[in-house]
Amino acid sequence: MSVLKRMPYRRTTATLLAMALLYVYAISASAQSDNGPDNNGLDDENNTPMFSFSGFGTLGVVHSSEDQADFTSSVFKPNGAGYTCSWSADVDSLLGGQLTATFTPQLSAVVQIIVEQNYDNAYRPQVEWANIKYQFTPDFFVRAGRVVLPNFMASDYRKVGFITPWVRPPIEVYNLVPITKNDGIDTNYRLRFGEVTNTIQAVYGQLTSTDKNGSNVKGRDQWGLFNTTEYGPWTVRLGYYQNRTTLEEFKPFFDAFRFFGPAGVALADTYDCDNKRITLASVGASYDPGDWFLTSELARREADCFAGDNTAWYISGGYRFGKITPYLTYAQVKATSNTSDPGLDVSALPPELAGIATGLNAGLNSILAASPEQQSISIGARWDFMNNAALKLQFDHVRLGDNSPGVLTNIQPNFQPGGSFNVFSATINFVF
Amino acid sequence: MKKIITSRSPAVLLAIVLALALGTGSAVADMVAVVSVHNPVTTLSKNQVLAIFLGATTRFPDGRRAVPIDQAEGSTARNAFYLKFAGKSPAQIKAHWSKIIFTGRGQPPREVANSAEVKQYLAEHPEAIGYIDHTQVDDSVKVVLPPNQPVD
Repeated sequence: MSVLKRMPYRRTTATLLAMALLYVYAISASAQSDNGPDNNGLDDENNTPMFSFSGFGTLGVVHSSEDQADFTSSVFKPNGAGYTCSWSADVDSLLGGQLTATFTPQLSAVVQIIVEQNYDNAYRPQVEWANIKYQFTPDFFVRAGRVVLPNFMASDYRKVGFITPWVRPPIEVYNLVPITKNDGIDTNYRLRFGEVTNTIQAVYGQLTSTDKNGSNVKGRDQWGLFNTTEYGPWTVRLGYYQNRTTLEEFKPFFDAFRFFGPAGVALADTYDCDNKRITLASVGASYDPGDWFLTSELARREADCFAGDNTAWYISGGYRFGKITPYLTYAQVKATSNTSDPGLDVSALPPELAGIATGLNAGLNSILAASPEQQSISIGARWDFMNNAALKLQFDHVRLGDNSPGVLTNIQPNFQPGGSFNVFSATINFVF
Repeated sequence: MKKIITSRSPAVLLAIVLALALGTGSAVADMVAVVSVHNPVTTLSKNQVLAIFLGATTRFPDGRRAVPIDQAEGSTARNAFYLKFAGKSPAQIKAHWSKIIFTGRGQPPREVANSAEVKQYLAEHPEAIGYIDHTQVDDSVKVVLPPNQPVD
């Protein structure tokens, strides 16, 4: 019940700011038209438009050869290609709009709205960002509101497919922490040493999301520190992030263990994600002299609960033949904590309880075994057929770890873990 | 080095062939960066010009405010400028700005229609910097050259 009560409040905080900005925008737009053609919304002092609107989008279809589970781009999506649809448009398709308001050279605000497949299969607009930024100096700003959670090199623009070479950032790495935003503050401090630019970014806040079963995923006390060094074609990034996570979906299940005495309580305390610490350490490097690029990221997530520890990395390279950029990517994710547990000692229990305990043990082991383990090779090409639009085709061959469903979702009873499957994706990415 | 020569020369050839075919004559457009005659800046390296136009800095090296002015999207002048100074195609420049816009870090430069408008804008805004074809240079603007490059 408390879940239902809280949700509307959570929506309003970010939405209110968005609505306020859109309102000011509407007023200014109508005032502007009254002033005639001379005033085209430009603030002469600042030399930039007071309001600017930009948009981006992806139209995509995906086919997966695994028909007993769904392949999709985020753990927050309820289904995708494979079991639910042979060809799915839900995996990558989205539409985003961003309104930037520049009040003074120092003070600005941004609202970014994205429409994509939500946890409940609906396409409802969601506030991705809604923040106010104060630029203290050209090299130092602070933002407050809903800001990006910049865990990976492409986090800032992971949903703007037009910017990235791939159909989607390698999900082995990017799904380690699937949340993309943070309700709180962030700050950027840029330092230059000759030709070297170093940017330190710090974030703090919280976020409540809804998983595909409609339950809350709460991230509290989340903070992160990220350092990016750029020198000519080189970019090197180091990051650390942590939060305290509660996965409400699993709480009733682990509470059942607590009826089985101290051993059950111990298991519940170990595995339930109830305000448990999750950390992510990441390192990334990219070399892009213009004609070609090579990018690699390595990240390790540790969770003090059933989500466990995973290490993932990828390496990707491409060559730009004019408007066509073929690329090749290898990605891998491994589970480095236990993916099984003996669970409750059934032998000591009376038969009627033993049955329940056996069921709980099986449930626990299926949750632990779901820790992603897979490797994939992707080959694809991007074609910039217009200055603001690109077509991408990508073929992935994915091999699952033994007993692991990898990053697949919506697993069906006849699914055979540990196999391999192929994915074909085609997207059109555009900005306007 | 060999690779660069082989990959560039067909593009250059193609550009010349296209220029001749289309009869524009201006395809070998030699773009130069220009500022107002009232702007004390005289020399800027290619990278310093680029840093201003790609949003990496909002200042001239001496610390004064720098406001870049673009020519119209899709114009020959604009494409030639970014090709010469950054070695980047219009699509790459678009992707660069998309990255900055959609990370909430900035907005692309203000646009004016053509070289004449660049000169007119510079005359009124000493903090501005633009680019025009070298044949369009006149007394109203000052070409900023890379350090140590002789004036021709």
